[in-house]
Amino acid sequence: MDKEQVTLTIDGKTVTVPKGMVAVDAAKTVDIDIPVFCYHEKLGPFGCCRMCLVEVEKMPKLATACTLNVSQDMVIKTDTPKVKKGRNGVLEFTLLNHPLDCPVCDKGGECPLQDNTFEHGPDLTRMEYNRAHHDKATPLSPVITIDRERCIACQRCTRYSDIIEKDTALVMLNRGFHNEVGTFNNEPYDTRFSGNVVDICPVGALTNTQYRFKSRNWDLKNAESLCAHCACNCNIVIGTRQNRFMRVQAKSSENSVSNDFVDDGWICDKGRFGYQFLESKNRILDPRENGIGDSRAGVIETAKKVAASFKKIAEEHGPDSVGFLGSPFGTNEELYLYQKLFRLGLGTNNIDHKLYADSPGLPVDHYDMEDVESADLVLTIASDPTEELPILDLRLKKAVSSLGTKLAVLSDQQTLMDCFACHSLRYNVGSDGTVLQSLTDGLGKKGFKKNKGFETETGIESDAFKELIASLKKSTKVCVIYNPEKLTGDSVHILKSFLTALDKNSEGTCGAIPAAPATNALGAMDMGVLPDYYPGGIPVSNAAKIRELWGDSAPVTEGASASELIQKAESGELKALWIYRCNPLVDFPGGAKLEQALKKLDLLVVHDMLETETTRIAKVVLPSNGPGYDEGTTTNIGGRVQFRKRGIVTQNPADWKILGAMLKELDIESDYRDSFEVTSEIASTVPGYSEVNRKNLRKFGHQREKVSNPKVPESKGSSEKAPDKNALRLRVSNYLFAHDKILDASSSLAHHFQTSSIYIHEDDAKSLGLSSGAEVTIKSDWGEIKAEVQVNNRCNPGGALVPYISDEQGVASLLNPDGGPTWVTFKN
Amino acid sequence: MKLFLTHNIDTKDLHSIKVYKKQGGYGSLEKAFAKKPDEIVQMVKDSGLRGRGGAGFPTGLKWSFLAKDVFPRYLACNADESEPGTCKDRVLLQKNPHLLIEGMILCAYACQIETAYIYLRGEFYDLAEIMDKALEEAYEAGYLGANILGSGMNLEMYTHLGAGAYICGEESALLNSLEGMRGEPRLKPPFPAVEGLYGKPTVVNNVETLCAVVPIMNEGPEAYAAVGTEKSKGTKLVSVSGHVKKPGNYEIPMGLPTRDLIYDLAGGIRDDNELKAWIPGGSSVPMLPASLVDTPYDYEAIAAAGSMLGSGALIVMDHTTNVVEEALRLAGFYMHESCGKCTPCREGTRWLHQILSDIHLKKGKESNIALLEDICDNMSFKCFCPLGDAAVAPVISSIQNFREDYEELLNLAKAGTAS
Amino acid sequence: MFTFSESSEKQIEKIMKKYPVKRSAILPLLALAQRQDGYITPEAMVEIGKRIDCSPAYVQSVCSFYTMFYTKPVGKYVIQFCINISCHLLGCDDLLEYTANKLNIKVGETTADNKITLLKEECLAECSAAPVMRLNDTYHTNLTREKIDQILDSLD
Repeated sequence: MDKEQVTLTIDGKTVTVPKGMVAVDAAKTVDIDIPVFCYHEKLGPFGCCRMCLVEVEKMPKLATACTLNVSQDMVIKTDTPKVKKGRNGVLEFTLLNHPLDCPVCDKGGECPLQDNTFEHGPDLTRMEYNRAHHDKATPLSPVITIDRERCIACQRCTRYSDIIEKDTALVMLNRGFHNEVGTFNNEPYDTRFSGNVVDICPVGALTNTQYRFKSRNWDLKNAESLCAHCACNCNIVIGTRQNRFMRVQAKSSENSVSNDFVDDGWICDKGRFGYQFLESKNRILDPRENGIGDSRAGVIETAKKVAASFKKIAEEHGPDSVGFLGSPFGTNEELYLYQKLFRLGLGTNNIDHKLYADSPGLPVDHYDMEDVESADLVLTIASDPTEELPILDLRLKKAVSSLGTKLAVLSDQQTLMDCFACHSLRYNVGSDGTVLQSLTDGLGKKGFKKNKGFETETGIESDAFKELIASLKKSTKVCVIYNPEKLTGDSVHILKSFLTALDKNSEGTCGAIPAAPATNALGAMDMGVLPDYYPGGIPVSNAAKIRELWGDSAPVTEGASASELIQKAESGELKALWIYRCNPLVDFPGGAKLEQALKKLDLLVVHDMLETETTRIAKVVLPSNGPGYDEGTTTNIGGRVQFRKRGIVTQNPADWKILGAMLKELDIESDYRDSFEVTSEIASTVPGYSEVNRKNLRKFGHQREKVSNPKVPESKGSSEKAPDKNALRLRVSNYLFAHDKILDASSSLAHHFQTSSIYIHEDDAKSLGLSSGAEVTIKSDWGEIKAEVQVNNRCNPGGALVPYISDEQGVASLLNPDGGPTWVTFKN
Repeated sequence: MKLFLTHNIDTKDLHSIKVYKKQGGYGSLEKAFAKKPDEIVQMVKDSGLRGRGGAGFPTGLKWSFLAKDVFPRYLACNADESEPGTCKDRVLLQKNPHLLIEGMILCAYACQIETAYIYLRGEFYDLAEIMDKALEEAYEAGYLGANILGSGMNLEMYTHLGAGAYICGEESALLNSLEGMRGEPRLKPPFPAVEGLYGKPTVVNNVETLCAVVPIMNEGPEAYAAVGTEKSKGTKLVSVSGHVKKPGNYEIPMGLPTRDLIYDLAGGIRDDNELKAWIPGGSSVPMLPASLVDTPYDYEAIAAAGSMLGSGALIVMDHTTNVVEEALRLAGFYMHESCGKCTPCREGTRWLHQILSDIHLKKGKESNIALLEDICDNMSFKCFCPLGDAAVAPVISSIQNFREDYEELLNLAKAGTAS
Repeated sequence: MFTFSESSEKQIEKIMKKYPVKRSAILPLLALAQRQDGYITPEAMVEIGKRIDCSPAYVQSVCSFYTMFYTKPVGKYVIQFCINISCHLLGCDDLLEYTANKLNIKVGETTADNKITLLKEECLAECSAAPVMRLNDTYHTNLTREKIDQILDSLD
């Protein structure tokens, strides 16, 4: 539906824009810059700073252009003597008690107050009294510094806290001249998205503590890049000075233009303050063999040598004696080249990147992140956007609170989205298969009937479930967001049947967003880093298609999955394993047995950016540049492919270059001059990526076409009984600020680190005789860890939530290596 | 003199429903329920009643602006009487609470409203108790609640106490405050009639305005319009304070010469001093010199004289007054009461106060007057809400009409007699 | 820890029924907390936030906007002395100074025995009976030194 257009005149220029647009934005379309402080396109009109005064014909008073909705034939003048006097006056008021400490202000050079004063302000002050004083530069949080003297009370930050983050943690206190930005009882303003206030502050009142006095911003080199912390792939600007990392900002209207397909101009605090790993002392800089690093040995030379060794082993023991364990953290180019290296160079499908069940493709439309705003119902399944994909959290809140979207949350744990949901259903840990099957059946002809068995098994009340089904059926646009990683067994396949049923039975349209949280989780699937699928979701069984695209030598038998690779290492079948940007010793179940298995290998190569537990035991370690240093594309949860630009130049060769050399070493034609040439090859070989090219990637990226959606295996669905009555079923949940290799002890986000906890329901607490605060040992058949009990009902009785809070916590050691359910008991 | 609001105000125990009813109270309801809501709106339009809170906007017209077919709608009675010099609503609230309730029922009927709030300033705790008692009586008597007098009309009415903020007298700030927010004014449009309380169409009227609807209903719009002038109809309750012998609240027909108000009703200037200055309508309107004391007390004549009728608070100053001192006092008030939302008001009110303090302390400079005028110009009509304009009024009018008072202090400053 | 008293709870029940949106109850609840403790503590703000589904910061933001809410202890009696124009014209400054001297405190302070807090206030809307002050919930009008003596002497 096109909005009604109106035509008006601004400074003599004719402008045609949608009716109701505010004059500031209308003027922008014809390059007329109306100065503002309080107005921000994402926060909407407010009108408190009075900077944007303009003259409007037939209006006796000057109007504020940020609150003025344009209408047909309106005549606006922004340059009359009356306007000039008005703006000059407003700026005099604005500066009246401002300290004018620009020489020592970090905002200097990119400060709207400076710029507006330069252009519209008085050159002298008539203020003859002492300026009001406040404490200079006090911590608002461990990462944000507040200088209240500089504040001009535009309320951008407090409105952000209210309208966007929706927690009103940052507020205006007091009244009138004593107005100040503050928090409850002077507590730190320490949220998941607090740093955005630094970007939107139009003066130097809120500054990035780690960046303070590090650089003048005109000395910065700014690279428009992508955040690599999660699969939202938010657009960021990396500022460096003399090739050293200085800061991260959101790419927004403040410095460029926001990417509304992805992040709407906001980033989370992990994305902003969690970039110290770029200069971590744990970065791998040199290749290393048998524990001995050698800066003289070239990375490429070493890589070629190892590739030849792999080739030799494959020839000696057969292609399936080598394997590749990739990760969802590499770029599409890197992952594409790796699968090519192993498939074409070594002849094996022994490649994988994940432990959970999932297959490429969707039976319905793949929705972009922006679609949550136009959907009338968003259903999240097993997803915890706040901890897993923070910007999705903001987008959902925006959709729900200002765009009329309804939210339904279907999860086995309480999340922070629940309070925004109209349906909030919590199923028993492990019962997702039954829930999804019932949902599928319920949408069909049979419908869903009140059912005691269902209620006992899932913990969901029949009536609430019925209401959800009714909502799904009658909505005009449903967007399903699910986290495959947190579905148990192979219920992700039932989920896909549910999507098919939804598509068939709902009155409107529907689509889905597979929301695995790792940076390039979707890209890794699309690039075929899977034992059973080639890039673009082509199953190995489709030999004809594979031969056509990849040639006659491409292997067409299913390879070993990630967990099978480990099993084969243990059994000795696997001789050589190449691990890329993955740390199985911490992330995989198996504990000490796993380490023994890896040590059995003849050749273990780890190609990574930071030292890990696994690099310690590798025979060969190769440096990978990683985000900030690398270049390439990633595919976010919405299927949007974007280009991640380099912020820092490094001497080390790019991963695609290393891979190119290895391919050549294995006699595969490869002559890539830059990462875009790999991208072009992806476009020509990977279904769904054909339109991805340098031009399309500019600005907002490009949503790839749907990849093929092969028929999914029938799922068995599992819901198993506890082995003993005191055992609870374990569910590992995510925590945004987990203490890992990326956020290490030196991180400025270290204050967010938590201690090991386990969340249980009060019913279980009672029967197990546990109470909040109790220190316990959690035991499973495979391992044990220590944790503090919190009785908070975040999951139903029978379940136990353990948030992943650090690498050292050792959660993976508890897990069932077969991928089956994990039951835990407690020891005081 | 024909009085509509206060003819029986001194009747003993008028605040009780028994006495009120004996005086004919609640008699208008039956008449109203016999008519269609729109007819009541028309009657109020015909009466020429204008908002008595300060802005003087035609009441019937305001009611007719309510967004069509959008429900629920709300009524908020503005009993946040805070304009310096004004104490007229408190008389009605204290002595005749049922008159307000009756007026509000009429408004609610005319505007199809089922929930009404009386927003009282926080300091009116005692009046809220009186009001709550009256509401209780009205509920008991069946004038409030479900199906009032069998008419099918439902109305819930509640008191709500503010907590100390002059700005909440501004209608949109009042709504914010009633919604549990800081009392900062809202962006207009949308106006309350379209998006008011909880985003719904809302009527916001002053106590006196709503009370006046009762006699309009009882005696007919013609009878009401017969009193007053051509454009300023009916009577006005005026609070007279300052240097007069008999300060008090006086109900007068619109258009009565101000002289009669000061010299007859209020008994003249204290100690038979000379009148020097008068503020016709509360602190937010320009002050006028004695020479204009024959101005008829109505909207148009006072506007023509260079001020505004405002809330109907006549503040009288005799010849012993140095007007600068009073302007300073009011500047302090606006500085204290500025909500701080917009820059010119937040900064400007404080700056004006700083400069006026200097002048008052005989530390001023000649250039200060021009500076004050320019600051006022930079604030005028450039603030978010009318508080900024109000803050300017006493300063600018005192300079215009009583420049000699400034010069006297500036000359003393020049002579080095700083105090 | 802050808890509303039993009688407060009864009033809260009534208050919550007045509004379709819980947040509207914030001023009445703050007033209630203040009546209970004399002033509003951070703990009370947390509790009120829970009642109306708002963050404690929000409660503090609203609370600090309104001058009748005290966030520090005040005396058993609080005198709000009007200093605005109508009272000023009739000598309130002198009376305020007189009161302060009599109480041996400065304006804004509380007597050493925590009995009386003396505050200056903007217009109290009783201008035609100026000078005026408010003592807790009661207005005292047409003040004179003698009247002030009487009032202060009558306080226990």
